[in-house]
This record gives sequence, structure tokens and C-alpha cells, in this order.
Amino acid sequence: MRAGAGPPAERLGARLFGHNDLPAVRAGGSPSGSMIELLLQTCVNAIYAASFMALIAVGLMLIFGVMGVVNFAHGELFMLGAYCVVFAYADQSYPYFLAVMLGLVFVGGLGIAMERTLFRPVRDNPLAGLIVSIGLLLILQAAIAMGFGVRMEHIAPPTRATFHPFGLDGVVVSLQRLYVIVGAGVVLGALWVFLRRTRFGWALRACAQDPEAAALQGISIDRTARLAMCIAAAMAGVAGALAAPLVRTWPYMGHSVIVTAFIVTIVGGLGSLEGAVVAAILYGFVHTFVTTFSDGVVADIVGLLLMLVVLIVRPTGLFGARERA
Amino acid sequence: MRRAHHGWRFRATLAGIYAALVAMPHLLSFSQKEIAVFLVINVLVVVSYRLLTLTGEWSLAHAVLMGVGAYASALLAKRLGVPVPPAMLLGAAAAALVAWVLSFPLFRMKAFYFLIGSFAAGEIIRLCWKRFREPFGGPKGIKLIPSVPDVEIGGLEIAFFDPVNYYYLCLAVVTLSLVVLHRLEHSRIGLTFHAIHWQDRLAESVGVDTRRYRTIAFVIASFFAGLAGALLAHYLGTVNPNQFDVEAMVYVLIWVIVGGTATIYGPILGVAALTVVNEIVLRGLGVDQARPLVYGAILIASILFLPDGLESLGPKMKRAFARIRGPHGQP
Amino acid sequence: MTMQLFQKKIGRRTFLGATAAGAAAVGGLAPMPAAAATRTVRIGFLAPLTGEVAAWGLPGLYGCQIWAEKVNAAGGVRIGDDVCTFEFVSYDNEYAPEKARTGATKLIFEDDVKFIMMLGGDTWPAVQPIADKSGMLVSTLLPSDLSPDTGTLIAPCEVHPIYNVTGVWWLADRMPNLKSAVICAQDDALGRPSVATYLAAFEAHGIEVLDTVFFDLSTTDFAPVMTSMLSKNPDILCLDTAYADYVHPLCEQAHQQGFKGQMISCTADFYEKIVEKTSKEFMEGFIFQFPDFDDPALGQPGINFDAPGEFYAEYNKRWPGEWGAVSWEYASIMDLWVQGAQRAGSVEPQDVLAGMKQGGVGKHAFGDAKWWGKELFGIDNALVGNWPVVVIENGKAVIKEMRNIPEWWAMHGDLLVKHFTEMGEMYHQRG
Repeated sequence: MRAGAGPPAERLGARLFGHNDLPAVRAGGSPSGSMIELLLQTCVNAIYAASFMALIAVGLMLIFGVMGVVNFAHGELFMLGAYCVVFAYADQSYPYFLAVMLGLVFVGGLGIAMERTLFRPVRDNPLAGLIVSIGLLLILQAAIAMGFGVRMEHIAPPTRATFHPFGLDGVVVSLQRLYVIVGAGVVLGALWVFLRRTRFGWALRACAQDPEAAALQGISIDRTARLAMCIAAAMAGVAGALAAPLVRTWPYMGHSVIVTAFIVTIVGGLGSLEGAVVAAILYGFVHTFVTTFSDGVVADIVGLLLMLVVLIVRPTGLFGARERA
Repeated sequence: MRRAHHGWRFRATLAGIYAALVAMPHLLSFSQKEIAVFLVINVLVVVSYRLLTLTGEWSLAHAVLMGVGAYASALLAKRLGVPVPPAMLLGAAAAALVAWVLSFPLFRMKAFYFLIGSFAAGEIIRLCWKRFREPFGGPKGIKLIPSVPDVEIGGLEIAFFDPVNYYYLCLAVVTLSLVVLHRLEHSRIGLTFHAIHWQDRLAESVGVDTRRYRTIAFVIASFFAGLAGALLAHYLGTVNPNQFDVEAMVYVLIWVIVGGTATIYGPILGVAALTVVNEIVLRGLGVDQARPLVYGAILIASILFLPDGLESLGPKMKRAFARIRGPHGQP
Repeated sequence: MTMQLFQKKIGRRTFLGATAAGAAAVGGLAPMPAAAATRTVRIGFLAPLTGEVAAWGLPGLYGCQIWAEKVNAAGGVRIGDDVCTFEFVSYDNEYAPEKARTGATKLIFEDDVKFIMMLGGDTWPAVQPIADKSGMLVSTLLPSDLSPDTGTLIAPCEVHPIYNVTGVWWLADRMPNLKSAVICAQDDALGRPSVATYLAAFEAHGIEVLDTVFFDLSTTDFAPVMTSMLSKNPDILCLDTAYADYVHPLCEQAHQQGFKGQMISCTADFYEKIVEKTSKEFMEGFIFQFPDFDDPALGQPGINFDAPGEFYAEYNKRWPGEWGAVSWEYASIMDLWVQGAQRAGSVEPQDVLAGMKQGGVGKHAFGDAKWWGKELFGIDNALVGNWPVVVIENGKAVIKEMRNIPEWWAMHGDLLVKHFTEMGEMYHQRG
């Protein structure tokens, strides 16, 4: 039996979210500290959810910012990252982190190829870009379903280690989840530095803000777009590779992240790295807390409502300065 | 902008097309008749969607609003015993009403923000159907929805269970709707839609309330989407939340964009061509699991080679033909 | 002790009934006399083969192909005066009602199939009018599709979720000290009736349900779900009919978050991978309802699935990693269909239906069973009998016991009706 969390949590849950048919409080649970443990555990869960979402949403935002393309296939890039782990680590037994690197390089490379063959011809035509990316989504899903089967893949966890971050028995985080959290922190930090401190980053931001003015400044839009696409795809690939042992790895896994990623991107405000991160954290915490204290379906509704309210109050998102497209 | 031509040539072509549409179901196999019914209903979905896009806004709530029409009409007919034809119109009205309510928060946003905002709003409605079993039936939705009652005209029994008869019913309803939508586009209101699309700021500066016109387009488009949903619900006899999910919406976008939105026949061309390809050609080829793959490749090819949609194929071919004819034609 | 006697008696009576009524079925796969005419019978397979629900259709089609090859290689089966071989015609309905309707039309009127197997669920209501008008016999894997007006629909194999009572029943007999449970379920047509069933079973056996946590199908992160469940401090964690895709992360989370109690679930597909992801000790004693088909208990007399071990081996050889409940269920429905056709001496849908229901009993894969369901579905079109209780022991699934569902129903049927009514899952409440 799990020590800790017990009756008070129930009562709070009932008070906050109106469980009316809550059964009688059971005797025997240890009351002291359990609510704190439950809250801390939920925070840890939320941090993971936010990190995971930020990795995907920031890439999506980058693609839209630089190329004006709504990349509906971004979830499938995430899926390919996960299947790199399926192939290299689970099937071929290469070391896990080699498989993660493969996910990064392969999906990043695919991003470059996508930019050149698919997105360049439709740049700044969001509708055409949307259809092209939907076409790619269908192709990637079907190809993986045919190659690996329609059922979920099984990836033995590369590590079973767990931590108790606050020294409490009731609060636990697995090392695998920590990989995602740390991975997101490192990648997003590096991206921030890259965008602020390097010439490439400067070019990238210039393109995202005003492509025509950037072109007049002598910035090559083609090269910048390629770079943005490569970075965005690689981020989705890494997210998929790191999360593969944690999530349901199957050909249609992209579907469950893409919608949330779009919402997070838009709520953060297009063209804003900080906005996407803040929105990811907001969404991660709200969704996780409502799931814990009420249920998942209510969490989806509450999450969407919150996002809608943000957009009503700030129609260009939290950090969005202007509209594009 | 293309204005309606009502010359004899145009009328003759239209008459020819309608003669073909009336004769068509008798040339089709059993399952193709079913596909024809759904295709005609989807024509109304895409054409009504195009009305909204005239103002420059793209919504992701269209499929859900179609569902509002389907649910409302189904519930009215099943629970309250409203006869099916008026229930369908009330269903459409319900979709229009929901769209009007949504327009208040949504039209604070524009462009991509509106796109995602409309998605969130639609998804909330859809999740409510899932969540509230009373009256929406939860994830399984509503089944045993009353069908359109059989009618007797001069001793001839017309049963709407038969796909051919329902096809004619849908063809009549959709034709009427297309006429209304067409007239609307070429009325003062429709011209204002175009003006808002191309000259948003300018239209505002001359005193056009752009938000009001966007709302009008959204509400009317939703009315016809709701009507399409009602037509679907009373034929299938069942509605459920999954039928109107983001995937359904993606297909509407695909049909409209691949067809093109400059003319009213663009989306029709898109939905007809892609339905034939996906449901008849690809299934006939027996590619089975690879069907989505081939379909995806066709989408990409169509956009890369015809970025302005299938509707641009006609003029393009005309130009190419003129070029082949030599120096007398246009360069 | 009395319970066991009772069970034996019922089992014996059912068995006698079945042998008397189904004499014609005996020797179904015997060599054919040379004189009989050979014909090919087409069977429709109308299920999702692409898209997100494909995992509920495609693996079943593979199983049917193995079944057909085996039967055809043996020269077919004798039905009436003919020797029949089988051909499956599949139509991908993408789990969309309108495509299911189109597919049913094609299969019935263009391909001339004699029987259609479906997954059911969202797609069945759109097929129902077609099946009614044409008199086509259709099978579903989801008995919750059954209602008094679905005369041509049968649920001859999968009697989900009623069999879930057997697991709880067995658990309560063996571990009477466990007194509380928390249930989690995906919020869909499979999850909800299953929750009602578990609630009824727990109540019947004096186990208090502390909470029921629903999650959406699009859930990717199960940590919050598990945190929420464990915060109630239950003795038993019930995973309801969570899909394999959810059972795995749920078990992992339970393991990581330090749960040490008993777990029970409807399915545990690829359980060896769960063991790999957690630990042998953690999964020891995990109760579920779907045996491996190489289980020695399935070699016992009374089991009607032909050579389950061979089928399992062949399937795994051809489609490694795709084995699950649906892999054998569609094939097992074909066994029942053949039996019905043989009883009727005809392959025509209405004759086969009459043949299948003749005497009110049929040879279900897990033993002779009776056509049942009036009280719960409004129609006796579900074939209900024994169902195995499977427990993971030392990393391997073992059938501990076959328990008889009608026997449980006789004792606690009222509770099931009560919870089905509360959940809004009774046939007269649905849609």
C-alpha cells in the first residue's frame, strides 16, 4: 500500500471540483503531510507535462514564424523520433542515448528535406502549407503503420531509477521523466542563447518578425528557413525519442500532441519563444491538476476554456505583438 | 472577381450537368449510390464553408457546427417528436444560433488566432456531447434517429431509405442552398465580404463594420453546415461526437483548399474529385493499408502543381491550348 | 464448497443440453465424401483497417485469414449438401458510420457475403437499417450494441464486459481481506459499461469502491491519473477495460508511484512487456481475463477453439507483436458460424442465425454456453458461458479457473442491472 496521501485530499477534491458521489472517508490512511505530498507529486507531474509540451510547441512556433507554414505534420515528427528509439534501441539493441541521437539527427535531417521539397514552394501560403503537411502526415502515419504494425510498440525502460525529489515517500519522479524535463530545459536554454547571441539567431528572429525586411537586410530566407525547420524538427524528434518509453508509442501518437501544441503556440503568441514556454507551463499545470482532482475529460474541457479565455482577453496571445498571415 | 454569367452557354452547361446528376444514380453500383448521397451532403458542407472564407477568416469549428445541426435535429425529432423536415430546419437554425453566440468571443481574434480559437470553441462543444450523456448520449451518441418519412405522390411510394431517393432529396435541398449562397455572394453583402477579405482596413475606414459582416458570414455558413449535418443524421440514423472531430474538419479543409476557393465550383470540384479518388479509385485498386499514403501523396502533388486549386485547371488548360494553337493565340 | 458443487452441476447441465441440441455439429471438420459439391462462401469483414481504431480490426483480419487457410486446406467444411470453403472480403470502414453503411451495402449487394463480422460500436447503428432490410446476419465484438430491435446482430464470442465479474469473484474468494478498490477507465463505449460491471461485482463481493477516475482517449501522461487513484489509498487497483495502450503506462505509473496492492484488469495484452517495464514481483498476482492460447488449460476437453496452441504459434510467426484479444475473437466467431450453418444445413443468414441459436446453446470458444442477455440487452443474442480467470504467476499468464458467468448472474444479476441503470448503459437508456 502506498504510504501517504489519504482522506484530506478526497475532501479537498470534493470541495473544489464537486464530486457528489464520493464514498465515505476510509479510516487508516496517514493524514499528516499527505495532502502536501499529493500536491507536490502533482506539481512534479505538471512540470513533466509542461516540458514535454514546450519542446513540441516551440518548434511549431518556429516553423510558423519563419515560414508562415502551419505544420500539421509536427506530431508525426514527434512520432518518428519515438520510432527511432523503437528501431535502434528496442529492435536493434543499440544504447538508448545513441537512439536518441539518431532521433535528433534523422528527424532534423528530415526537417531539412521537408523544407526544401515541400515547404519552400508554399512558403507564406498557410493554406497550401496546411494541405502539404496534412498529406505528409497521412504518408508518415501509413508508412509507419505498415512498417511497424498498428499496435503500440513496447520499449523496455532504459532506466528504472526513481527519485524522491523532496525526500518524501509519496513524491516520486522517474529518471526517464527527468530526462525529458532536463532535455527540455537544456534544449530550450540553448535555443534561447542561440536566438539572442548568434548571427544565425538574429537572422532567424528577423525572418520571424518580418521576412521582407529581413531579405532587404541581406538575410537569406531560404537558409534561415532551412535552419528553423531543422531545429524545429530535431526538437520534435528529441521529444519523441525521450518520451517514447513513457507514452503510448504507436503510429497515430502525433494526433494527441499536435492539437495541444497548436493551442499552446497560439496562446503564447505567435513568434514568441517565451510565450510558448509560458503557455506550455500554464497548460501543463492546469491540465495535470484538474486531471488529478477531477478527471481527464473535465481537464480537457477546462484546458480549452482557459485557452479560449486567454485569447478573448488577449486576442494575439500572451506575448504576441502582431499578426502574421 | 467572377460575376455570374447568365448567357445561354452557361445555362446549357448547367442544364447538362443537372441532367447528368439526375441520371447518375442509375448508373452506379449499390455502394456507389451510398457514396453519392454522402458526397452531395458534403458539397453543402464545403460550399457553406467557402462563404466564411470569403471574408478571409478560416474556422476550424465548421465540422462541429455541422454536428450541432445533426444533434439538434436528431434530438428534436427523436425526443420531442418534431416531424423530420421542420426538425432539419430547426437543427440548421440551432447551428446558426450557436455560431452567433460563438461569434462574440471568436471575432475578437483574427487570422491564425481565430483559426485556433474556433477550434478550441468547437472542441469544447464536442467534448460536452461526450461528457453530458443527457441529452447527447455520451461517446456513443444518438442512434435510431427517425428517418425522413416516406411520401406518396400520385400512388408512387417514395421511401427515403433507398439511397437513390435520398440522393434526389439531398440534390434538391443542396441545389436550393447553392442558389441561395450564390445569390448572397453576388449581393451587396457578398461584395462586402470580398471587400473585407482584400481590404480589411480600407473597408473599416469607409465605415464598414467588418466584425458584423464576418458574423453574418459565419452564421449563414453555419446554418447550411447545420442543414448538411441534419441531412446526414436522418439518413444514417446515428450521430456521435467522433463524426465531427478534428479529422472530419481536416477533410473539409482538404476538399476546399484542393478545390480552390475563388469560385463556388472550386470546393465542389475538390470534394467530388477527392471522394472519387479515395472511396472508389483507391479502394478499387486494393491498396488497403497504403490508401492513406497514396491519398497523402495525391494531396501534396495537387497543391505543388495546382496551388490555386483544381478550379484553376480549366483556365490553365485553356491557356495551354491557346499556346499550342500557335502564334494567333495569346502567349 | 457448495458453490463449487453448484458450479459443476450447472456446467454439466449446460454440457448435456449442448450435446443434445448440437448433435449435428459433431465431426464438423471430418473428411468429406467425394460426391458433395464444393462452393466458396464469402464472409464480410467490416472493421477499421486504417486509422486510430485499426488495432481493433486489422489483427482480427489476420486471424481470420489463418482460420480460412486452415479450413480450406482441410478441404472445407460440410454444410448441408455442399462442401464449403471460405473467402474473406474486407472493407475498411475507418470506424466512420457512413463508411460502414457504404461498406455493408457493398458487401451484401455486390460481394454476396453470407455473414458480416464487425467491431461494432460507433459503426453499428449506421449498418443496422441495412442489416434489417436485407436480413443479413452481423456479429459484433461489443455486446453493448445489442438491443431488442437488433434482431440480426449477435455477440457470439466477446461478451464484454460481463465476463469481468469472474475476475472479481475469484479475487474475492481468494483474498477476502482486500476490502477497497479504485477504478480507472477511459471514457468511451468500452469503458463505461465495464465500470458498471466492476461496480456491481465489487458490491456483490463486499468490496468498497472508493472512486472511479475517467480519462480521455487522448491521454498520454498517466502519472496524474495514477496519483489521483493512489491518493484514495485502495487495496485493489482496477484498470477496468483500459486498452493495452493504457494498461502499460498505468502499470508503470503504479509501479513507480510505489503501489504494492492487488491489481485487476480486463485485458493485459503483451503483459510480458509490462513485466519487463516494471518487475516480476510487481506484476505477480495481476488478475485479468485473456489467456495466452498456449495455456495448457485450453487443451482440456470442453474448450471449443480448435487447436488454440497451433493457432497462437502460427499467428505469432506471421505477425509478431500483433497478438491480442481481437486476434482470435473474429476467428472464433467463424467457428460458431460454421456450427450454426451446419445445424441449419444452409449458409443463408437467417437459417444460420436460427441454427446458431437452436436450443439456446452454442459452443463458445471457452466452453459450451447459452444465448442470453434479455435482462441486460433486451435480447438473447449474446453467447455467455465460462470465462477464464487469468493470473500472472512468475511472469507468465496462467488460467487459474474457468468461472461460469450465468451462475454469477443467478446470484447477483440484480446488482448488475442496478449499476448498468445508474451508468445509463441499459438497452432502454442508450441513445
